[in-house]
Amino acid sequence: MMPRKLTPLQALLMGLALIVVLFPVFWIVMTAIKPPTDWNASPAIWVPSKPTLINFQTLFNPDAIREYGVGGVSQAATDAVIGSLLASVSATAISVVIGLFSAIGISRYGNGGKSTPLVILSGRMFPPAAIAVPFVIMFSTIGLIDSYPGLIAIYAAVTLPFSTWMLKSFVEDLPREIEEAAMIDGQSRMMAHLTVTIPLIKGGLFATTMFVFILNWSEFMFALVLSYSNVSTIPVQLAKYVTATAGTLYGVQAALAVLAMVPLVIVGYRIQSHLARGMTFGAIKQ
Amino acid sequence: MNTRERKIDKVLATFDAGRMNRRGFLKSLAALGVTTFVANAVSISPLGAVKAYAAIQGAEQRAWELAKVAAAKATRKTLTLLIPTGSIGNMKPYADKWKNELGITLEFIEEPDEVVHTKGMQEAVAKTGRYDVMMPTAMSYPDWIDSGVIYDLTEWVEKYDPELFNKEWGVVFPASHHAQLYNGRVAGLLNDGDQITLLCRSDHLTDPAKAKAFEDKFGYRLGVPKTWAEYHTLAKFMHDPAKGFYGSLEYRSPYYVKWMFMQRLVSKGRLYFDGEVNPTFNSDEGVAALEDMLAMNAYLHPDAFSFTWSSNYNAFGRGEGFMNIVWPSGFKYSKAPSTGPATTGKIAATVMPADKLKDGTLLYAGMFCWGYGYAVSKYSANPELAYAYSQWMTSPTISSDAIPYLGGYSDPYRVNHMLAPTQRLLDTYTPEYLKTLYDNMVNTVPDFCVPGGFEYQDALDKQVHACMTGAKKPKEALDDAARAFERITRRIGRDKVKKSWLALTRNLAEPIRKASGADKWS
Repeated sequence: MMPRKLTPLQALLMGLALIVVLFPVFWIVMTAIKPPTDWNASPAIWVPSKPTLINFQTLFNPDAIREYGVGGVSQAATDAVIGSLLASVSATAISVVIGLFSAIGISRYGNGGKSTPLVILSGRMFPPAAIAVPFVIMFSTIGLIDSYPGLIAIYAAVTLPFSTWMLKSFVEDLPREIEEAAMIDGQSRMMAHLTVTIPLIKGGLFATTMFVFILNWSEFMFALVLSYSNVSTIPVQLAKYVTATAGTLYGVQAALAVLAMVPLVIVGYRIQSHLARGMTFGAIKQ
Repeated sequence: MNTRERKIDKVLATFDAGRMNRRGFLKSLAALGVTTFVANAVSISPLGAVKAYAAIQGAEQRAWELAKVAAAKATRKTLTLLIPTGSIGNMKPYADKWKNELGITLEFIEEPDEVVHTKGMQEAVAKTGRYDVMMPTAMSYPDWIDSGVIYDLTEWVEKYDPELFNKEWGVVFPASHHAQLYNGRVAGLLNDGDQITLLCRSDHLTDPAKAKAFEDKFGYRLGVPKTWAEYHTLAKFMHDPAKGFYGSLEYRSPYYVKWMFMQRLVSKGRLYFDGEVNPTFNSDEGVAALEDMLAMNAYLHPDAFSFTWSSNYNAFGRGEGFMNIVWPSGFKYSKAPSTGPATTGKIAATVMPADKLKDGTLLYAGMFCWGYGYAVSKYSANPELAYAYSQWMTSPTISSDAIPYLGGYSDPYRVNHMLAPTQRLLDTYTPEYLKTLYDNMVNTVPDFCVPGGFEYQDALDKQVHACMTGAKKPKEALDDAARAFERITRRIGRDKVKKSWLALTRNLAEPIRKASGADKWS
């Protein structure tokens, strides 16, 4: 199919939409390379005349920014970056694996009855703030507070409804006759799902994984409430860049935000073909 | 007793015996690391050097002795502090001393300042024992004490005497009471004299052309404003938006704007409640305060509606306004060439302007807002050690040393910080500003340091902000806030709030108690 050419009006609208979408990214990247004197200059400095990597250096060496007279940054972001990776990757893997098998069970075998999908979804019906304190009490009692297993458990639990429901729609859109054909060929149910169902919904699986990972990667409240000093994540670390000598360290915050974007951009770029397919999978019903 | 202490004792005895002159005495003590403030005070004390030294150093020494005993007994050799991000600079310099001399590691858990209160309330239910010392603002004490998460420090205070109420080096009254006590009992030890004062640009005040134009127009000399009316006049006179120079930079942004209202309200002799904890800010005085603020909007910096404390300080430091209402840290920003390139050496500070009461008298009132302090967690494994740390850090001597360190929020709060300052305090704040801080602090009214304090403040803040943005008329906004206050009071319990409010207002400057009628409450 020949790619459709945009009309000038469509191109203009597309360009405007792109500016709106990309402006925050542009601003964050520019702030990340500004020296402290330019962070909140008035009038605003769009592109720094003397770009610097000092904000990135400060992330891993808190004293680096002292050369600009800014003191009081006490924590390196290393723990937060590692913590975010650990919590997000683990919780995403757990959530997607459980969600995948739940989706197959519900779609193909009606496990748990008709109300099961709704019961799973009900976990998302509570505002996180409403369940945070009960979790604090429960986790304190069983020793999971301020620990990565605790944070991973809650991230997996909170994102499980998303992964189950998203994957359920992908599984349901796949004709079950394909799996049955594999079973007629002698494969067990499990093998049929592993060799047929999962490869065929690969796009949906990537899209779901990406979506769940983003949710976990950017989660703030549970990480804040359930952590003391052993657990640290990027969103919580971002809120800590305030000093008495310079107020909010916008440049350092922006540098960490840029760093936080990197894994998502890389993974998104690498799986973009799957993502596009995953997002549109099932758009046209069989 | 270590070698240094023995040497100090010897110098003191020699001075008392008349075998050393004053200059030699000061020099000897300085060489032994005694602050100038202590050495000076001791040298002129009628008690004699030995006794005077013991008195001034007392709070620090008693705390240190307690710390030594508690550290020896402690099974956990780490003292964990919950502190707001950005405050570590005042504490970190002493971590080595605690480690080397007591074997105690100081661990700092930093949280964004707006969640410290929530973290404390969270600990009340989680009971993890993760914190030993917690650093909230004075407004947290009522809820934290009532929820059982922190100790009532009164017995320790009576036993180890941190010299909270000493006239020469105690915490300045009334902050000594309203920023440390809850229902008359000690809930925390103040480590930060957060109050707002008024900064003006001295270079504009001394500009001969402006001085003449001002005097010709208004009939009195150009100077720092003494009343809110003068403040308004000055803002209007100096306001020059074409040059990016605005009359004032006071806050209109959410979260901060309530303090601008509360300040004007107390200047008019009104407190937030009456003696029965009925809201009183929706009175004529409250409406007048909001109308004053609306009238000032024309002369404010265009970012006033979005200022945070740091963006406000930075804008003033860049020379974008004539006046600013700031915490003491704002003065430090304006003074430092790095953060105040346009204001360094050009600041005239003054106490908050007065307002004229119905009988024609002027009432000077200030706002003590925020103000961190140390509290001891009920779930600490080493509460005595935690208390010892709190007393040691806030003692007249150590606090004088700690406050000037960069990278912390601590500002002067004891009498000696302002009236007998160390050289480092003088270098950080200037003698004039320290005097201004003292003069302002003696007239301060606290935040809502009663049960539910944060809820009351939020309710007021929302309505004041709605009025400033034009969404509500002054009376409508204040009536809505008053209704929200009634709901909060009913839920918490009127008697409970009343008891706390009466205890709080019992210790205010007499002119404010009289003007507000608090002197007749019981």
